[in-house]
Amino acid sequence: MRQAEHPGPALEPRRLRVGANAAGEYRVQLAAGEELHEGILAALADVGLQHAAITLLSGQFAAFSYLTGQADDSGERLATYGAPSVLCGPVTLIGANALVGRGPQGDALLHCHAVVVDVEGGVHGGHLPPGACIVGEAGLVAQVMGLSGGGFAVSYDAETNYAIFHPTSLDAEETSA
Amino acid sequence: MSDTEVEAGQLGRIAVVRIKPNEDLCRAVAAAALAEGFRCALVRGAVGSLLDAAIGYGAEKRLDIPGPGVEILTLSGEVRPDAAGEVQALLTGTISDSDARVYGGRFLPDANPICITLELVLQEWIPD
Repeated sequence: MRQAEHPGPALEPRRLRVGANAAGEYRVQLAAGEELHEGILAALADVGLQHAAITLLSGQFAAFSYLTGQADDSGERLATYGAPSVLCGPVTLIGANALVGRGPQGDALLHCHAVVVDVEGGVHGGHLPPGACIVGEAGLVAQVMGLSGGGFAVSYDAETNYAIFHPTSLDAEETSA
Repeated sequence: MSDTEVEAGQLGRIAVVRIKPNEDLCRAVAAAALAEGFRCALVRGAVGSLLDAAIGYGAEKRLDIPGPGVEILTLSGEVRPDAAGEVQALLTGTISDSDARVYGGRFLPDANPICITLELVLQEWIPD
């Protein structure tokens, strides 16, 4: 198995963990025209959640953009995202996982990867950038597991030179939005 | 007579996990669960990337997808002891390569090093 050389030191431990508590299960149905990130985060804020694990169950996009990874030739990082790939709708969801945690400014942040099929039957997938995925006429359904006591928060990782989600213990104020 | 097994149980504790670069996907997910004291667990959420990917399909077919930056699009599966009592992660999912091609299958152990990160939520499964 190949091993990568990242720009920063590989610090121990290699697996970071915090315990968390279940904070409710929710079915969220977004309506046509809603943007994925905004819609999910608004729905979670309405029920007082800032931390969650999400599975997108079914649905459709009227507009869909995604990013895929590639080598970073700048040397600043091992890998980076390429230019966005843009699909015209209707684009049908096959599956997606997403996590919601605390962003760099303390705001809620959604990190989502998805696989979809386009109008010609082509299968696509990647990282979904915020602001670019608009729900289609069929709507979009997500199953949300709320988290309390522990969740994800963005912090800088010197090893990879990325600001990314890390497990974080949450006090009572941070658990609810 | 059916060989179907039905196991009653309940969902238990939750672990929020980050797996760092170069750790093997299957081995690290199993190790993270064990470190939390979960001998059985379900993947409840996961987003991340692989340095290179190797997935199994068919009887014993293997497909290698070189990276870096292979995106894990979906990940599902469970952690559970095998017949010898060793805790293993049995994981399936979909991935995309740097040319935006999508593949799916079973993630093979010792063949899927994490690239940047794997953000993971595990939940304990407690058989009755």
